[in-house]
Amino acid sequence: MMCAMTLVRQYARSVLSAKTLLVYSFLLGFLLYMVTPFLIIFFNSFGKGWYGMRWLPQEWTLNWYQWAIEVADIPEIMKNTLVIAGIAVVISTLIALPTGWALGRRHIPGKELLTALILLPRMIPAITFALGVAKIFYGLHLVDTFLGVALAHVALAAPYAILVLSATFESLDERVLEASAVCGASPAQGFFYVILPLILPGILSSIIFTFTTSYNEFTMTLMTYGPHTVTLPVRTYLAVGEGYWEVSSAMAVILIIPSLFILFLIQRQLQPEKLVGGFKGV
Amino acid sequence: MNSFWHKQREGLITLVLLSPGLAGFFGLFFYPMLLTVILSFRPEGREVGWTLAHYARFLGDPAFRDVLGLTFSLAVGATVFSVLLSLPLALVLREKPKGNRLFRLSILLPMMMPHLISALGLLLFWSKRGWANLFLLTVLPFLKEPVAVNYTIPGLILFYVWLFYPYTCLTTLASLEALDRSIEEAAEVAGANRLRVLWHIVLPLIRPGVLAGSVLTFMMAFGAFSVPLVTGGNYRPLSVQIFTQATLYLEWSAASAMAVVMAMAQVTFLTIYMRVLRRPIA
Repeated sequence: MMCAMTLVRQYARSVLSAKTLLVYSFLLGFLLYMVTPFLIIFFNSFGKGWYGMRWLPQEWTLNWYQWAIEVADIPEIMKNTLVIAGIAVVISTLIALPTGWALGRRHIPGKELLTALILLPRMIPAITFALGVAKIFYGLHLVDTFLGVALAHVALAAPYAILVLSATFESLDERVLEASAVCGASPAQGFFYVILPLILPGILSSIIFTFTTSYNEFTMTLMTYGPHTVTLPVRTYLAVGEGYWEVSSAMAVILIIPSLFILFLIQRQLQPEKLVGGFKGV
Repeated sequence: MNSFWHKQREGLITLVLLSPGLAGFFGLFFYPMLLTVILSFRPEGREVGWTLAHYARFLGDPAFRDVLGLTFSLAVGATVFSVLLSLPLALVLREKPKGNRLFRLSILLPMMMPHLISALGLLLFWSKRGWANLFLLTVLPFLKEPVAVNYTIPGLILFYVWLFYPYTCLTTLASLEALDRSIEEAAEVAGANRLRVLWHIVLPLIRPGVLAGSVLTFMMAFGAFSVPLVTGGNYRPLSVQIFTQATLYLEWSAASAMAVVMAMAQVTFLTIYMRVLRRPIA
Protein backbone atom coordinates (compact mmCIF):
# COMPACT_ATOMS: atom_id res chain seq x y z
CA MET A 1 0.00 0.00 0.00
CA MET A 2 2.71 2.42 1.02
CA CYS A 3 4.65 1.43 -2.03
CA ALA A 4 1.72 2.13 -4.34
CA MET A 5 1.20 5.55 -2.77
CA THR A 6 4.82 6.48 -3.33
CA LEU A 7 4.61 5.30 -6.88
CA VAL A 8 1.51 7.37 -7.53
CA ARG A 9 3.12 10.38 -5.95
CA GLN A 10 6.27 9.94 -7.99
CA TYR A 11 4.24 9.54 -11.14
CA ALA A 12 2.27 12.68 -10.35
CA ARG A 13 5.47 14.59 -9.73
CA SER A 14 7.02 13.41 -12.98
CA VAL A 15 3.88 14.39 -14.94
CA LEU A 16 3.94 17.75 -13.23
CA SER A 17 7.57 18.36 -14.02
CA ALA A 18 7.05 17.17 -17.61
CA LYS A 19 4.31 19.75 -17.91
CA THR A 20 6.50 22.43 -16.38
CA LEU A 21 9.27 21.42 -18.73
CA LEU A 22 6.91 21.69 -21.69
CA VAL A 23 5.67 25.09 -20.58
CA TYR A 24 9.16 26.41 -20.09
CA SER A 25 10.50 25.08 -23.35
CA PHE A 26 7.53 26.72 -25.07
CA LEU A 27 8.26 29.99 -23.31
CA LEU A 28 11.96 29.73 -24.06
CA GLY A 29 11.25 29.06 -27.73
CA PHE A 30 8.93 32.02 -27.78
CA LEU A 31 11.51 34.25 -26.13
CA LEU A 32 14.16 33.20 -28.66
CA TYR A 33 11.71 33.79 -31.52
CA MET A 34 11.15 37.31 -30.27
CA VAL A 35 14.68 38.30 -29.33
CA THR A 36 16.97 36.63 -31.87
CA PRO A 37 16.34 39.11 -34.71
CA PHE A 38 17.74 41.86 -32.50
CA LEU A 39 20.61 39.72 -31.20
CA ILE A 40 21.67 38.83 -34.70
CA ILE A 41 21.63 42.52 -35.71
CA PHE A 42 23.82 43.24 -32.70
CA PHE A 43 26.36 40.53 -33.57
CA ASN A 44 26.24 41.40 -37.25
CA SER A 45 27.16 45.00 -36.49
CA PHE A 46 30.33 43.90 -34.66
CA GLY A 47 31.23 40.87 -36.77
CA LYS A 48 33.90 40.79 -39.42
CA GLY A 49 33.63 38.43 -42.36
CA TRP A 50 30.62 36.74 -40.81
CA TYR A 51 28.65 35.44 -43.74
CA GLY A 52 26.54 33.16 -41.60
CA MET A 53 26.69 29.37 -41.32
CA ARG A 54 28.47 29.98 -38.03
CA TRP A 55 26.91 30.73 -34.69
CA LEU A 56 29.15 33.72 -34.07
CA PRO A 57 31.52 35.87 -36.10
CA GLN A 58 35.16 34.76 -35.94
CA GLU A 59 36.57 38.24 -35.69
CA TRP A 60 35.19 41.33 -34.10
CA THR A 61 35.44 44.84 -35.44
CA LEU A 62 34.16 48.37 -34.95
CA ASN A 63 34.63 49.13 -38.65
CA TRP A 64 30.92 49.17 -39.46
CA TYR A 65 30.28 51.83 -36.85
CA GLN A 66 33.19 53.82 -38.22
CA TRP A 67 31.68 53.46 -41.70
CA ALA A 68 28.27 54.48 -40.46
CA ILE A 69 29.71 57.58 -38.84
CA GLU A 70 32.18 58.61 -41.54
CA VAL A 71 30.66 57.44 -44.81
CA ALA A 72 26.95 57.44 -44.06
CA ASP A 73 27.30 60.61 -42.00
CA ILE A 74 25.27 59.36 -39.04
CA PRO A 75 25.94 62.36 -36.75
CA GLU A 76 24.37 64.71 -39.32
CA ILE A 77 21.46 62.31 -39.83
CA MET A 78 21.00 61.93 -36.09
CA LYS A 79 20.86 65.71 -35.84
CA ASN A 80 18.16 65.83 -38.57
CA THR A 81 16.16 63.11 -36.83
CA LEU A 82 16.30 64.82 -33.45
CA VAL A 83 15.50 68.29 -34.82
CA ILE A 84 12.53 66.93 -36.76
CA ALA A 85 11.33 64.95 -33.74
CA GLY A 86 11.71 68.07 -31.57
CA ILE A 87 9.64 70.22 -33.94
CA ALA A 88 7.03 67.46 -34.22
CA VAL A 89 6.80 67.15 -30.42
CA VAL A 90 6.38 70.92 -29.96
CA ILE A 91 3.71 71.26 -32.66
CA SER A 92 1.83 68.15 -31.50
CA THR A 93 1.85 69.27 -27.88
CA LEU A 94 0.68 72.77 -28.81
CA ILE A 95 -2.16 71.21 -30.81
CA ALA A 96 -3.02 68.63 -28.18
CA LEU A 97 -3.09 70.87 -25.08
CA PRO A 98 -6.18 72.95 -26.02
CA THR A 99 -7.84 70.20 -28.05
CA GLY A 100 -7.29 67.62 -25.32
CA TRP A 101 -8.68 70.04 -22.74
CA ALA A 102 -11.80 70.63 -24.85
CA LEU A 103 -12.31 66.90 -25.45
CA GLY A 104 -11.63 65.94 -21.86
CA ARG A 105 -13.41 68.63 -19.89
CA ARG A 106 -15.96 70.45 -22.02
CA HIS A 107 -19.37 69.47 -23.22
CA ILE A 108 -19.20 68.66 -26.93
CA PRO A 109 -22.08 67.17 -28.90
CA GLY A 110 -20.95 64.07 -30.79
CA LYS A 111 -17.76 63.75 -28.78
CA GLU A 112 -17.35 60.04 -29.57
CA LEU A 113 -17.52 60.63 -33.30
CA LEU A 114 -15.11 63.56 -33.06
CA THR A 115 -12.57 61.47 -31.11
CA ALA A 116 -12.88 58.65 -33.63
CA LEU A 117 -12.31 61.12 -36.49
CA ILE A 118 -9.25 62.64 -34.83
CA LEU A 119 -7.79 59.15 -34.35
CA LEU A 120 -8.55 58.09 -37.91
CA PRO A 121 -5.10 59.03 -39.29
CA ARG A 122 -3.56 56.54 -36.87
CA MET A 123 -5.95 53.79 -37.78
CA ILE A 124 -5.66 53.74 -41.56
CA PRO A 125 -2.38 53.03 -43.36
CA ALA A 126 -0.28 56.17 -43.60
CA ILE A 127 0.61 55.51 -47.23
CA THR A 128 -3.01 56.25 -48.22
CA PHE A 129 -2.80 59.91 -47.26
CA ALA A 130 0.99 60.26 -47.50
CA LEU A 131 0.50 60.62 -51.27
CA GLY A 132 -1.76 63.63 -50.78
CA VAL A 133 0.52 65.13 -48.14
CA ALA A 134 3.49 64.82 -50.50
CA LYS A 135 1.49 66.42 -53.32
CA ILE A 136 0.50 69.39 -51.13
CA PHE A 137 3.97 69.80 -49.65
CA TYR A 138 5.52 69.88 -53.11
CA GLY A 139 3.22 72.80 -53.94
CA LEU A 140 4.11 74.61 -50.70
CA HIS A 141 7.86 73.90 -51.04
CA LEU A 142 7.75 72.08 -47.72
CA VAL A 143 9.36 68.92 -49.06
CA ASP A 144 12.94 68.49 -47.84
CA THR A 145 12.55 71.04 -45.03
CA PHE A 146 12.66 70.24 -41.32
CA LEU A 147 9.26 71.86 -40.84
CA GLY A 148 7.71 69.91 -43.70
CA VAL A 149 8.90 66.49 -42.53
CA ALA A 150 7.96 67.35 -38.94
CA LEU A 151 4.47 68.45 -40.05
CA ALA A 152 4.02 65.16 -41.90
CA HIS A 153 4.92 63.40 -38.63
CA VAL A 154 2.45 65.57 -36.72
CA ALA A 155 -0.34 64.00 -38.79
CA LEU A 156 0.42 60.75 -36.96
CA ALA A 157 1.74 62.06 -33.64
CA ALA A 158 -0.91 64.65 -32.78
CA PRO A 159 -3.85 62.19 -32.57
CA TYR A 160 -1.97 60.18 -29.94
CA ALA A 161 -1.04 63.30 -28.00
CA ILE A 162 -4.67 64.46 -28.06
CA LEU A 163 -5.84 61.04 -26.86
CA VAL A 164 -3.38 60.91 -23.97
CA LEU A 165 -3.93 64.50 -22.87
CA SER A 166 -7.73 64.39 -23.06
CA ALA A 167 -7.65 61.29 -20.86
CA THR A 168 -5.34 63.11 -18.44
CA PHE A 169 -7.53 66.21 -18.27
CA GLU A 170 -10.67 64.13 -17.95
CA SER A 171 -9.33 62.42 -14.85
CA LEU A 172 -8.66 65.74 -13.11
CA ASP A 173 -10.94 66.04 -10.14
CA GLU A 174 -12.33 69.55 -9.71
CA ARG A 175 -12.86 68.96 -6.00
CA VAL A 176 -9.11 68.85 -5.49
CA LEU A 177 -8.84 72.33 -6.96
CA GLU A 178 -11.76 73.52 -4.86
CA ALA A 179 -10.12 72.06 -1.79
CA SER A 180 -6.92 73.95 -2.53
CA ALA A 181 -8.94 77.15 -2.96
CA VAL A 182 -10.69 76.55 0.35
CA CYS A 183 -7.29 76.13 1.94
CA GLY A 184 -6.39 79.58 0.69
CA ALA A 185 -4.45 78.93 -2.51
CA SER A 186 -4.60 81.62 -5.20
CA PRO A 187 -5.56 80.45 -8.73
CA ALA A 188 -1.89 80.66 -9.76
CA GLN A 189 -0.83 78.62 -6.74
CA GLY A 190 -3.66 76.21 -7.45
CA PHE A 191 -2.35 75.77 -10.97
CA PHE A 192 1.32 75.36 -10.11
CA TYR A 193 0.99 73.28 -6.95
CA VAL A 194 -2.13 71.25 -7.67
CA ILE A 195 -3.03 71.01 -11.37
CA LEU A 196 0.46 70.93 -12.83
CA PRO A 197 1.73 68.02 -10.71
CA LEU A 198 -1.43 66.12 -11.58
CA ILE A 199 -1.21 66.60 -15.34
CA LEU A 200 2.57 66.47 -15.66
CA PRO A 201 2.77 62.66 -16.01
CA GLY A 202 0.17 62.83 -18.79
CA ILE A 203 2.05 65.56 -20.62
CA LEU A 204 5.31 63.64 -20.23
CA SER A 205 3.88 60.42 -21.61
CA SER A 206 2.32 62.36 -24.48
CA ILE A 207 5.74 63.83 -25.24
CA ILE A 208 7.35 60.38 -25.08
CA PHE A 209 4.75 58.99 -27.47
CA THR A 210 5.04 61.81 -29.98
CA PHE A 211 8.81 61.69 -29.82
CA THR A 212 8.94 57.93 -30.48
CA THR A 213 6.38 58.24 -33.26
CA SER A 214 8.46 60.87 -35.03
CA TYR A 215 11.80 59.24 -34.27
CA ASN A 216 10.68 55.92 -35.77
CA GLU A 217 8.44 57.29 -38.49
CA PHE A 218 9.24 55.89 -41.90
CA THR A 219 6.31 56.06 -44.33
CA MET A 220 5.59 59.78 -44.00
CA THR A 221 9.31 60.60 -44.10
CA LEU A 222 9.81 58.52 -47.20
CA MET A 223 7.23 60.62 -49.03
CA THR A 224 8.47 64.03 -47.86
CA TYR A 225 12.22 63.74 -47.28
CA GLY A 226 15.00 65.07 -49.46
CA PRO A 227 18.79 65.14 -49.44
CA HIS A 228 18.84 67.58 -46.51
CA THR A 229 16.30 65.83 -44.33
CA VAL A 230 17.37 62.20 -44.35
CA THR A 231 16.37 60.66 -41.02
CA LEU A 232 17.78 57.56 -39.36
CA PRO A 233 14.99 55.17 -40.43
CA VAL A 234 15.23 56.35 -44.04
CA ARG A 235 19.02 56.08 -43.99
CA THR A 236 18.79 52.55 -42.62
CA TYR A 237 16.31 51.67 -45.36
CA LEU A 238 18.63 53.09 -48.02
CA ALA A 239 21.59 51.17 -46.59
CA VAL A 240 19.58 47.92 -46.65
CA GLY A 241 18.71 48.63 -50.27
CA GLU A 242 22.35 49.25 -51.10
CA GLY A 243 23.16 45.84 -49.66
CA TYR A 244 25.51 46.99 -46.87
CA TRP A 245 23.96 44.77 -44.25
CA GLU A 246 26.69 45.18 -41.69
CA VAL A 247 26.55 48.97 -41.89
CA SER A 248 22.75 48.80 -41.77
CA SER A 249 23.05 46.68 -38.64
CA ALA A 250 25.36 49.25 -37.04
CA MET A 251 22.86 52.01 -37.89
CA ALA A 252 20.03 49.89 -36.56
CA VAL A 253 21.84 49.50 -33.24
CA ILE A 254 22.34 53.27 -33.06
CA LEU A 255 18.65 53.77 -33.89
CA ILE A 256 17.45 51.16 -31.41
CA ILE A 257 19.08 52.49 -28.25
CA PRO A 258 16.51 55.25 -27.57
CA SER A 259 13.64 52.83 -28.28
CA LEU A 260 15.01 50.37 -25.74
CA PHE A 261 15.38 53.14 -23.21
CA ILE A 262 11.80 54.25 -23.77
CA LEU A 263 10.55 50.65 -23.60
CA PHE A 264 12.22 50.41 -20.20
CA LEU A 265 10.64 53.70 -19.07
CA ILE A 266 7.19 52.68 -20.24
CA GLN A 267 7.36 49.28 -18.59
CA ARG A 268 8.15 51.07 -15.35
CA GLN A 269 5.55 53.80 -15.64
CA LEU A 270 2.56 52.42 -17.49
CA GLN A 271 0.69 49.21 -17.90
CA PRO A 272 1.57 47.95 -21.35
CA GLU A 273 -1.73 46.13 -21.81
CA LYS A 274 -3.44 49.50 -21.82
CA LEU A 275 -1.45 50.71 -24.81
CA VAL A 276 -2.96 48.27 -27.24
CA GLY A 277 -5.82 49.64 -29.30
CA GLY A 278 -5.26 53.18 -28.13
CA PHE A 279 -8.79 53.96 -29.18
CA LYS A 280 -10.38 51.26 -27.08
CA GLY A 281 -12.23 53.89 -25.10
CA VAL A 282 -13.90 55.33 -28.20
CA MET B 1 -31.67 85.64 -23.29
CA ASN B 2 -28.68 85.81 -21.01
CA SER B 3 -28.35 82.06 -20.84
CA PHE B 4 -28.58 81.90 -24.63
CA TRP B 5 -25.57 84.20 -24.97
CA HIS B 6 -23.82 82.28 -22.25
CA LYS B 7 -24.34 79.06 -24.19
CA GLN B 8 -23.11 80.69 -27.38
CA ARG B 9 -20.02 81.91 -25.62
CA GLU B 10 -19.31 78.50 -24.12
CA GLY B 11 -19.72 76.88 -27.53
CA LEU B 12 -17.39 79.43 -29.05
CA ILE B 13 -14.72 78.79 -26.42
CA THR B 14 -14.98 75.05 -27.04
CA LEU B 15 -14.61 75.64 -30.75
CA VAL B 16 -11.55 77.86 -30.26
CA LEU B 17 -9.99 75.22 -28.02
CA LEU B 18 -10.73 72.51 -30.56
CA SER B 19 -9.51 74.51 -33.53
CA PRO B 20 -5.80 73.49 -33.45
CA GLY B 21 -6.78 69.84 -33.47
CA LEU B 22 -9.33 70.39 -36.21
CA ALA B 23 -6.84 72.41 -38.26
CA GLY B 24 -4.32 69.58 -37.96
CA PHE B 25 -6.94 66.99 -38.88
CA PHE B 26 -8.20 68.87 -41.93
CA GLY B 27 -4.83 70.15 -43.12
CA LEU B 28 -2.77 67.01 -42.62
CA PHE B 29 -5.32 64.29 -43.12
CA PHE B 30 -8.68 65.31 -44.59
CA TYR B 31 -7.43 67.64 -47.32
CA PRO B 32 -4.65 65.26 -48.45
CA MET B 33 -7.17 62.41 -48.52
CA LEU B 34 -9.64 64.56 -50.49
CA LEU B 35 -6.89 65.48 -52.93
CA THR B 36 -6.06 61.80 -53.33
CA VAL B 37 -9.70 60.99 -54.07
CA ILE B 38 -9.89 63.79 -56.67
CA LEU B 39 -6.58 62.76 -58.22
CA SER B 40 -7.78 59.18 -58.53
CA PHE B 41 -10.51 60.33 -60.95
CA ARG B 42 -8.17 62.48 -63.07
CA PRO B 43 -6.46 61.27 -66.24
CA GLU B 44 -2.80 60.52 -65.51
CA GLY B 45 -0.66 63.62 -65.15
CA ARG B 46 -3.44 66.15 -65.78
CA GLU B 47 -5.41 68.45 -63.54
CA VAL B 48 -8.60 68.52 -65.62
CA GLY B 49 -11.14 65.99 -66.80
CA TRP B 50 -12.67 62.99 -65.05
CA THR B 51 -12.17 59.31 -65.63
CA LEU B 52 -12.88 55.98 -63.98
CA ALA B 53 -10.07 54.33 -65.92
CA HIS B 54 -7.76 53.88 -62.91
CA TYR B 55 -10.36 52.01 -60.90
CA ALA B 56 -11.34 49.91 -63.90
CA ARG B 57 -7.69 49.09 -64.48
CA PHE B 58 -7.02 48.36 -60.85
CA LEU B 59 -9.97 46.04 -60.43
CA GLY B 60 -9.85 44.54 -63.92
CA ASP B 61 -6.17 43.87 -64.56
CA PRO B 62 -5.22 40.37 -63.32
CA ALA B 63 -1.84 41.68 -62.12
CA PHE B 64 -3.57 44.17 -59.85
CA ARG B 65 -6.10 41.65 -58.69
CA ASP B 66 -3.15 39.52 -57.66
CA VAL B 67 -1.99 42.43 -55.53
CA LEU B 68 -5.33 42.49 -53.73
CA GLY B 69 -5.28 38.71 -53.36
CA LEU B 70 -1.75 38.76 -51.95
CA THR B 71 -2.61 41.52 -49.49
CA PHE B 72 -5.62 39.61 -48.20
CA SER B 73 -3.88 36.22 -48.00
CA LEU B 74 -0.98 37.73 -46.06
CA ALA B 75 -3.33 39.47 -43.64
CA VAL B 76 -5.56 36.41 -43.16
CA GLY B 77 -2.55 34.10 -42.72
CA ALA B 78 -0.97 36.45 -40.21
CA THR B 79 -4.24 36.66 -38.26
CA VAL B 80 -4.83 32.90 -38.10
CA PHE B 81 -1.29 32.10 -36.95
CA SER B 82 -1.34 35.01 -34.50
CA VAL B 83 -4.37 33.49 -32.80
CA LEU B 84 -2.70 30.06 -32.79
CA LEU B 85 0.38 31.56 -31.12
CA SER B 86 -1.47 33.91 -28.78
CA LEU B 87 -3.89 31.43 -27.20
CA PRO B 88 -1.33 29.04 -25.68
CA LEU B 89 0.98 31.92 -24.84
CA ALA B 90 -1.73 33.85 -23.02
CA LEU B 91 -2.92 30.71 -21.22
CA VAL B 92 0.61 30.03 -20.01
CA LEU B 93 1.38 33.62 -19.06
CA ARG B 94 -1.88 33.87 -17.15
CA GLU B 95 -0.46 31.45 -14.59
CA LYS B 96 2.32 33.98 -13.95
CA PRO B 97 5.27 31.59 -14.47
CA LYS B 98 8.74 32.56 -13.32
CA GLY B 99 10.15 35.31 -15.53
CA ASN B 100 6.62 36.48 -16.27
CA ARG B 101 7.67 40.11 -16.60
CA LEU B 102 10.43 39.29 -19.06
CA PHE B 103 8.07 37.31 -21.29
CA ARG B 104 5.48 40.04 -21.20
CA LEU B 105 8.08 42.64 -22.02
CA SER B 106 9.22 40.62 -25.01
CA ILE B 107 5.66 40.61 -26.36
CA LEU B 108 5.96 44.37 -26.61
CA LEU B 109 9.20 44.28 -28.61
CA PRO B 110 7.63 44.27 -32.08
CA MET B 111 5.33 47.13 -31.12
CA MET B 112 8.06 49.31 -29.68
CA MET B 113 10.85 48.68 -32.15
CA PRO B 114 10.92 50.43 -35.51
CA HIS B 115 9.47 47.99 -38.03
CA LEU B 116 12.35 48.63 -40.37
CA ILE B 117 14.85 47.29 -37.86
CA SER B 118 12.69 44.29 -37.07
CA ALA B 119 12.58 43.60 -40.81
CA LEU B 120 16.37 43.73 -41.04
CA GLY B 121 16.75 41.41 -38.06
CA LEU B 122 14.18 38.95 -39.38
CA LEU B 123 15.90 38.86 -42.76
CA LEU B 124 19.26 38.19 -41.12
CA PHE B 125 17.86 35.58 -38.74
CA TRP B 126 15.88 33.61 -41.34
CA SER B 127 18.37 33.90 -44.18
CA LYS B 128 19.80 30.73 -45.71
CA ARG B 129 22.99 31.26 -43.74
CA GLY B 130 21.33 32.62 -40.59
CA TRP B 131 20.76 31.17 -37.16
CA ALA B 132 17.36 29.69 -37.93
CA ASN B 133 18.68 27.53 -40.74
CA LEU B 134 21.82 26.71 -38.80
CA PHE B 135 19.66 25.44 -35.97
CA LEU B 136 17.37 23.46 -38.28
CA LEU B 137 20.30 21.86 -40.08
CA THR B 138 21.82 20.89 -36.74
CA VAL B 139 18.73 19.33 -35.16
CA LEU B 140 17.07 17.83 -38.24
CA PRO B 141 19.53 15.33 -39.72
CA PHE B 142 17.36 14.60 -42.77
CA LEU B 143 17.49 18.26 -43.78
CA LYS B 144 20.27 18.66 -46.32
CA GLU B 145 19.50 22.06 -47.84
CA PRO B 146 18.79 25.26 -45.91
CA VAL B 147 15.13 26.27 -46.00
CA ALA B 148 14.28 29.33 -48.09
CA VAL B 149 12.25 31.69 -45.92
CA ASN B 150 13.16 35.19 -47.02
CA TYR B 151 11.29 36.63 -49.99
CA THR B 152 8.70 33.82 -49.99
CA ILE B 153 5.02 34.05 -49.08
CA PRO B 154 5.22 31.69 -46.07
CA GLY B 155 8.24 33.71 -44.94
CA LEU B 156 6.29 36.94 -45.25
CA ILE B 157 3.47 35.44 -43.18
CA LEU B 158 6.03 34.35 -40.57
CA PHE B 159 7.37 37.90 -40.40
CA TYR B 160 3.87 39.35 -40.24
CA VAL B 161 2.99 37.06 -37.34
CA TRP B 162 6.13 38.13 -35.50
CA LEU B 163 5.26 41.78 -36.04
CA PHE B 164 1.53 41.85 -35.46
CA TYR B 165 0.58 39.02 -33.07
CA PRO B 166 1.08 41.26 -29.99
CA TYR B 167 -2.24 42.93 -30.71
CA THR B 168 -4.02 39.58 -30.52
CA CYS B 169 -1.93 38.35 -27.62
CA LEU B 170 -2.38 41.40 -25.41
CA THR B 171 -6.16 41.54 -25.85
CA THR B 172 -6.39 37.77 -25.26
CA LEU B 173 -4.28 38.08 -22.13
CA ALA B 174 -6.36 41.01 -20.91
CA SER B 175 -9.64 39.14 -21.35
CA LEU B 176 -8.18 36.02 -19.73
CA GLU B 177 -7.10 38.01 -16.71
CA ALA B 178 -10.49 39.65 -16.45
CA LEU B 179 -12.10 36.19 -16.20
CA ASP B 180 -13.50 35.18 -12.86
CA ARG B 181 -11.61 32.06 -11.78
CA SER B 182 -14.51 30.83 -9.71
CA ILE B 183 -16.46 29.98 -12.89
CA GLU B 184 -13.72 27.57 -13.96
CA GLU B 185 -13.44 26.17 -10.46
CA ALA B 186 -17.19 25.59 -10.43
CA ALA B 187 -16.93 23.68 -13.70
CA GLU B 188 -14.05 21.62 -12.34
CA VAL B 189 -15.97 20.82 -9.18
CA ALA B 190 -18.88 19.75 -11.38
CA GLY B 191 -16.52 17.18 -12.88
CA ALA B 192 -15.25 18.72 -16.10
CA ASN B 193 -11.60 18.05 -16.89
CA ARG B 194 -9.15 20.85 -17.78
CA LEU B 195 -9.62 20.46 -21.51
CA ARG B 196 -13.40 20.62 -21.30
CA VAL B 197 -13.21 23.65 -19.03
CA LEU B 198 -10.95 25.31 -21.57
CA TRP B 199 -13.14 24.43 -24.54
CA HIS B 200 -16.60 25.01 -23.06
CA ILE B 201 -15.99 27.74 -20.51
CA VAL B 202 -12.80 29.72 -21.08
CA LEU B 203 -12.72 29.97 -24.85
CA PRO B 204 -16.34 31.13 -25.29
CA LEU B 205 -15.83 33.72 -22.55
CA ILE B 206 -12.68 35.23 -24.00
CA ARG B 207 -13.90 35.06 -27.60
CA PRO B 208 -14.81 38.78 -27.86
CA GLY B 209 -11.33 39.78 -26.72
CA VAL B 210 -9.62 37.37 -29.09
CA LEU B 211 -11.85 38.55 -31.95
CA ALA B 212 -11.11 42.22 -31.28
CA GLY B 213 -7.40 41.48 -31.15
CA SER B 214 -7.54 39.47 -34.38
CA VAL B 215 -9.25 42.32 -36.21
CA LEU B 216 -6.49 44.64 -34.96
CA THR B 217 -3.82 42.21 -36.15
CA PHE B 218 -5.61 41.88 -39.47
CA MET B 219 -5.76 45.65 -39.90
CA MET B 220 -2.09 46.07 -39.08
CA ALA B 221 -1.12 43.28 -41.48
CA PHE B 222 -3.36 44.72 -44.20
CA GLY B 223 -1.75 48.14 -43.88
CA ALA B 224 1.85 47.01 -43.32
CA PHE B 225 4.28 49.00 -45.40
CA SER B 226 7.90 49.09 -44.33
CA VAL B 227 8.22 45.37 -43.70
CA PRO B 228 6.94 44.13 -47.07
CA LEU B 229 8.88 46.96 -48.71
CA VAL B 230 12.14 45.56 -47.32
CA THR B 231 11.38 41.84 -47.05
CA GLY B 232 8.82 41.34 -49.83
CA GLY B 233 11.19 40.96 -52.75
CA ASN B 234 8.97 40.46 -55.78
CA TYR B 235 5.83 40.19 -53.70
CA ARG B 236 4.23 43.59 -53.37
CA PRO B 237 1.14 43.97 -51.23
CA LEU B 238 -1.14 46.94 -51.78
CA SER B 239 0.79 49.49 -49.71
CA VAL B 240 4.08 48.75 -51.45
CA GLN B 241 2.34 48.74 -54.84
CA ILE B 242 0.95 52.21 -54.12
CA PHE B 243 4.41 53.49 -53.25
CA THR B 244 6.04 51.87 -56.30
CA GLN B 245 3.31 53.12 -58.61
CA ALA B 246 3.73 56.68 -57.38
CA THR B 247 7.48 57.01 -57.00
CA LEU B 248 8.87 54.52 -59.52
CA TYR B 249 6.33 54.66 -62.36
CA LEU B 250 5.26 58.21 -61.47
CA GLU B 251 1.63 57.22 -61.99
CA TRP B 252 0.11 59.29 -59.20
CA SER B 253 -3.47 58.95 -60.33
CA ALA B 254 -3.26 55.16 -60.50
CA ALA B 255 -1.56 55.13 -57.10
CA SER B 256 -4.28 57.40 -55.72
CA ALA B 257 -7.02 55.06 -56.92
CA MET B 258 -5.32 52.21 -55.06
CA ALA B 259 -4.89 54.38 -51.99
CA VAL B 260 -8.60 55.20 -52.01
CA VAL B 261 -9.54 51.51 -52.26
CA MET B 262 -7.14 50.72 -49.42
CA ALA B 263 -8.43 53.50 -47.19
CA MET B 264 -12.03 52.41 -47.76
CA ALA B 265 -11.19 48.79 -46.98
CA GLN B 266 -9.45 49.84 -43.78
CA VAL B 267 -12.40 52.00 -42.67
CA THR B 268 -14.64 48.96 -43.22
CA PHE B 269 -12.39 46.80 -41.02
CA LEU B 270 -12.37 49.58 -38.43
CA THR B 271 -16.17 49.58 -38.36
CA ILE B 272 -16.16 45.81 -37.91
CA TYR B 273 -13.66 46.19 -35.07
CA MET B 274 -15.84 48.73 -33.29
CA ARG B 275 -18.85 46.41 -33.66
CA VAL B 276 -16.89 43.45 -32.31
CA LEU B 277 -15.65 45.49 -29.40
CA ARG B 278 -19.02 46.95 -28.49
CA ARG B 279 -20.84 43.65 -28.51
CA PRO B 280 -21.60 42.64 -24.95
CA ILE B 281 -19.68 39.60 -23.74
CA ALA B 282 -21.56 36.51 -24.85
